[in-house]
Amino acid sequence: MDVSIANLRKAFLSAGYITDEDVIITVFLSLKLGKPLLVEGAPGVGKTELAKVLSQVLEADLIRLQCYEGLDENKALYEWNYQRQLLKIQISKETACTEDLEQNLFSLEYLLERPLLKAIQADKQVVLLIDEVDKTDEEFEAFLFEVLSDFQVSVPELGTISARQIPVVILTSNNERELSDGLKRRCAYLYLDYPTVEREVAIIRAKIPTVGEKLSLEVARAVSLIRDSQEIKKKPSIAETLDWVRAILALDQDRLNLVVIEQTMAMLLKTKADLLSFNKNIGSGRLVEYARTEK
Amino acid sequence: MENYLEVNLVRFIHMLRYAGIRIGSGEVLDALNALSLLDLSDREAVRAGLKATLVKRSGEQQLFDKAFTLFFAPPEAKEKDYTRHRQDQTQRQQLLAKATEELTFQGMPLKLSDSEKTVYSGMPEKDKEKLLDYIKKTAEGKNIEQHFQPILESVVKSSLAYWRKSLRNQLNLSPLPQTGDQELNALLASAVRNGGDYSPALLEEDMQNIADKDLPRAEALIRKLARQMVTRLARRYRQSKKRQQLDLRKTIRHNIRFGGTLLKLRYRSRRTQKPRLVLLCDVSGSMARYANFVLQFIYGINDVVSQIESFIFSEDLERVTEYFQHGDDFTSTMLEVINRSKEWGRGTNLGAALKNLRLKYPDLLTGHSILLIVSDTKTMALDETLQELSLIKRIVKDVVLLNTLPRGDWLSSKSVRSFQGVLRMFPCNTLSDLEKVIRQKIIIY
Ligand SMILES: Nc1ncnc2c1ncn2[C@@H]1O[C@H](COP(=O)(O)OP(=O)(O)OP(=O)(O)O)[C@@H](O)[C@H]1O
Ligand SMILES: [Mg+2]
Repeated sequence: MDVSIANLRKAFLSAGYITDEDVIITVFLSLKLGKPLLVEGAPGVGKTELAKVLSQVLEADLIRLQCYEGLDENKALYEWNYQRQLLKIQISKETACTEDLEQNLFSLEYLLERPLLKAIQADKQVVLLIDEVDKTDEEFEAFLFEVLSDFQVSVPELGTISARQIPVVILTSNNERELSDGLKRRCAYLYLDYPTVEREVAIIRAKIPTVGEKLSLEVARAVSLIRDSQEIKKKPSIAETLDWVRAILALDQDRLNLVVIEQTMAMLLKTKADLLSFNKNIGSGRLVEYARTEK
Repeated sequence: MENYLEVNLVRFIHMLRYAGIRIGSGEVLDALNALSLLDLSDREAVRAGLKATLVKRSGEQQLFDKAFTLFFAPPEAKEKDYTRHRQDQTQRQQLLAKATEELTFQGMPLKLSDSEKTVYSGMPEKDKEKLLDYIKKTAEGKNIEQHFQPILESVVKSSLAYWRKSLRNQLNLSPLPQTGDQELNALLASAVRNGGDYSPALLEEDMQNIADKDLPRAEALIRKLARQMVTRLARRYRQSKKRQQLDLRKTIRHNIRFGGTLLKLRYRSRRTQKPRLVLLCDVSGSMARYANFVLQFIYGINDVVSQIESFIFSEDLERVTEYFQHGDDFTSTMLEVINRSKEWGRGTNLGAALKNLRLKYPDLLTGHSILLIVSDTKTMALDETLQELSLIKRIVKDVVLLNTLPRGDWLSSKSVRSFQGVLRMFPCNTLSDLEKVIRQKIIIY
């Protein structure tokens, strides 16, 4: 695909990713400027999905580095295959001299590529998704920053490995902690917010084609009311909206009503505290009324 | 034409920086490059492009949109802002001149700051007269000479401080923007007028002076800061609980010579253990407003981590940890704390509070705990306090004081200097100070 704003717009739409112009332009710029794209936003607003769709659109492989607490360089970049190394040592116990053996043991043959090295070593440009980077610690972030600055890594035993092509990099963060200024400066930045009612309707209809127009609109409105409520701690994500619609359809309903809300609210609000607070502060009655009122 | 674009971009960035958005020079270049890739007649594309390259914090997205709308407004609207700004400026200068003229002592103008004079101009006429009357009577009193002026000045200042509080919401006390670019100043002033949250003041404002109307925003900000701190604390804690990890690579290297039998195991170096945080928050009279914010902060932390012990103190010590563990919302928790507390709004005796902490809660103060004190250091029994501090310092891992006095006042305060001798001190006068404390990992490591 020739990277242009119009082409991206078309491609995202046909891949079923419903989005707005800000997203298209930011993605376009990050591709054209060759900068990693940092996507921040609440859980479930479509950050990971954006990377997946982009790899689809660019017809590139997706390599994903899922971050978690305690993730370190070894698991992100490369590890030595210790089992094989040990075997080798045992086998050549008598024959080889120690120095030769050491050289041999720390060669490409015994190297296990982890996502970052894979992305750098790939022959064809890939989309590298570094997901939930805010889950790691500052130390790892600094390491990432270096890798993303020059796209080369040094393996002490092997020397420097430079990228064959510069991968398209997407980093996501739930904003659990503020990332360093350094990393942010390297990146183009996109803040993904919850969709507007219109956009959520479009997403529902794209993902669940059997849903009626009325129900999708009512659901989107209801969800927006719930998200706007101060008291609800864990806001429903797009995925939860979709689950809710599927649950309602499974009960053979094509409109929101009191009964179906009582039966399915647990698909949308996943904690007891939020369910209680929904009943106390909003209630099914008000939700139905709000969802059914033309704006 | 190109030059025109650059100049305007630079001015726009100036405006964003004024609003508190941090923008590096590399990012300015990125923005220029972005513009070269976009259709400049497409306003929305330009907006999205600048946003993607310049603004990298979730909380600044709306601020950016507002600034963009103002800056790239049609010329007529900008002209209007400009005229209005000039009028405001003239008016303010006139008011200041008038205040200077009126506030004199035996023919000499009183030494007051512009902001104090602004407060004076905003006072109701009859109260102004009362104040002038008082000055006049004093000046005419028997044996009153010129050297009495500083004393009078401090009386006037404290009266004006009172008025500042009560006029806080009616008076625009923020200084007019001074960027050296008249047109930009006008834009900024207009931004501040329409929806105060453009003002950079909130983060940099002395917490004590944050206007009531800005409280919800300040509180939202604090919640966010607290959340960030909590994630860090929680993360460190969990990491440290993990078992020591075998470093296989080192082990293999060291054991090649033994033919693959792992004789000597190598371990990764161990992470520091999570400190227990003991918060001690001054709620004496001079601290009421700060305490409100800082406790809100504590509440934000307690919401997720119960590993933190919170105390409030003024003359004595009171444990409030449990109030914050019920999971009620902040306002009602706060009301409960204030209602139940005997300490709220009394005088300060940090030494007594510390002593009680040491004697009554010995198990909280260990080699793993960090004692975090929030105070303006204005305490009774300074010597006793310092003694107590050095005693505790020997027990705990670290003692940190967040000082709510503005940094500028530290040098002239004896107690600040004495405290600095025994503990690490950081400013905590504004929300941005509070943010820095967290960002620089002063309490967390
Ligand atoms: N713009 C969109 N168009 C269509 N579907 C979407 C869109 N955004 C999100 N979705 C749907 O929502 C689901 C959740 O999105 P995703 O997993 O990308 O969220 P996330 O932001 O990565 O969340 P988390 O922070 O929890 O990882 C996706 O599987 C997809 O079905
Ligand atoms: Mg995700």
